[in-house]
Amino acid sequence: MSIQQPSLALVVGSGSVKCAAALGVWKVLQRENIKLDLVVGCSGGSLYAAALALGYDLAAAEEMTLSFWTGDLMSGYASNLKAAMSGERDFNERSGLVDDAPLLGVLKQVFGERRFDETLLPLYLVATDFRTGEKVVLSQGRLADAIRASVAIPMIWPPWEVDGRLLTDGAVADPLPVDVAIKEGAHIILSLGFDLPVRARLRSFNAVQSHLNTLYTNNLLRATYAFYNLAHHAEIIPLWPNLEKNISAFDTRQFPLIIEQGQRAAEEQLPYLRRLLDTPDVVG
Amino acid sequence: MTLTNPTPKRVALVIGSGSVKCAAAIGLQNVLRREGIELDLVVGCSGGALYAACLALGYDARTIAEMTSRLWTRDITRHRSYSAWLRILLPGVFGFSERFGLLDDRLVMARLRTALGETTFAQAKIPLYITATDFAAGHQVILSQGRLVDAVRASIAMPYIFQPHPVEKRLLVDGYLSDPLPVGVAIKEGANIIVAMGFESPYQSRINSLPRFTFQISSIMTNNLFKANFAFHTLAHHGEVIPVVPEFQQRIRLFDTEKIPYIIEEGERAMEAQLPYLRRLLEATAV
Repeated sequence: MSIQQPSLALVVGSGSVKCAAALGVWKVLQRENIKLDLVVGCSGGSLYAAALALGYDLAAAEEMTLSFWTGDLMSGYASNLKAAMSGERDFNERSGLVDDAPLLGVLKQVFGERRFDETLLPLYLVATDFRTGEKVVLSQGRLADAIRASVAIPMIWPPWEVDGRLLTDGAVADPLPVDVAIKEGAHIILSLGFDLPVRARLRSFNAVQSHLNTLYTNNLLRATYAFYNLAHHAEIIPLWPNLEKNISAFDTRQFPLIIEQGQRAAEEQLPYLRRLLDTPDVVG
Repeated sequence: MTLTNPTPKRVALVIGSGSVKCAAAIGLQNVLRREGIELDLVVGCSGGALYAACLALGYDARTIAEMTSRLWTRDITRHRSYSAWLRILLPGVFGFSERFGLLDDRLVMARLRTALGETTFAQAKIPLYITATDFAAGHQVILSQGRLVDAVRASIAMPYIFQPHPVEKRLLVDGYLSDPLPVGVAIKEGANIIVAMGFESPYQSRINSLPRFTFQISSIMTNNLFKANFAFHTLAHHGEVIPVVPEFQQRIRLFDTEKIPYIIEEGERAMEAQLPYLRRLLEATAV
């Protein structure tokens, strides 16, 4: 009689540079010789999900992080915002307030022409259909295209077309798409999610905008997470790294701290994860 | 055989955010009244808060329809707050604060007072709960005491449009930011059967400006939040959640109050469609 091993997934949700905590989780899994069966990434999480699925080592992933999250990525924002608000400049569904050339450059540098079928593990990246609001799961074609779509922060970077669909940030549909792992048959799901930090004082219109977006995203995250937890007969293990300190979207200096906290979050859940992996009836 | 004392089914009505479309709740209530089905509690969010308050106070359908048509007109948005624009452009000079709103809310407050006067929650004929969102932290806030005018004003405090509204030292904004259709509140208050009237946020047909782009994203997130919360509550609740989601054949824009009679009709239709199911639930002896 063969006992089926429960399959294990890692879902890395949206959280900008904090998504690097996935590397801390990865370190623990490697050390414990626990194999992942599939990886899901959303928004900033797509970068790390892709890196893990391709088998990048920690050093390569660190380099990727440092070259990706730089201030250059946001250049042009202030002047473009003024122009767009005054009507001086057209703004349509293919517009963004930041030129995406630096972003495309970095993606090319990190992922080149690599494709989904080259990954060592099944990989699923999540974006949102800009016209219908639906969650779109990408699992074919060029990785750089899928990541570009998944990470397309609304208003900041223009939506990106993939296979005739105009796609934007996956977080708008679901900041932590655990359901993708459920649908792909994962029994145990490590879900790495991040609350957006709430600012204490709002000193400008942009700050209010950003704050409202934060409230929305956090509520959406909690709502979908609560539903998946309730719906899934198997196990969803929450990994919420302790990143109380306000880490701004591009703060790569916090990289060592982020990885450490990811590691700690994984260590905490390790005994539970082990128990689940050793339990035959987890496989439903 | 009939039971002599069947367990009363607590029937709740939850009216979600949808601005003028929330008038469909009048149609829903028309159907329930006709069928002799009484409500045990009402929950309202955003535009739904106004209708929930009127229903709870016992106003009749015609009064509510007339009152809301007179209240919710485009000119409440005409009173632009000029100082608000100065604050956006020169926050350092004019001081920008969380209490930001593009519109002067004096007119909308006056209108709400015309409709609700100084009535309080205590005067509602059935238990009433109105939801808003804590502006600082983002969680849902349930209002069930004090003046109705304050609660409704907080619940409809649409971001950017109306200023956040202070209630008991907390700044509150539109309830839809935490949950557009607060079924959870009805569950907490012990309702067994929950009639939940919700509305999809409309998507833009054409995007030709930054504000429209923003609204599109906002609608997508609202709809996703609506679906996720609804899915959760439906799964979690041992009782029954009956969705009543009117389908409008014509586009209903924010201030289309002249469409209220049509909106009421669609509300009736949507409730009729779920009536057989509701009846079955009410007749069941065990829930």
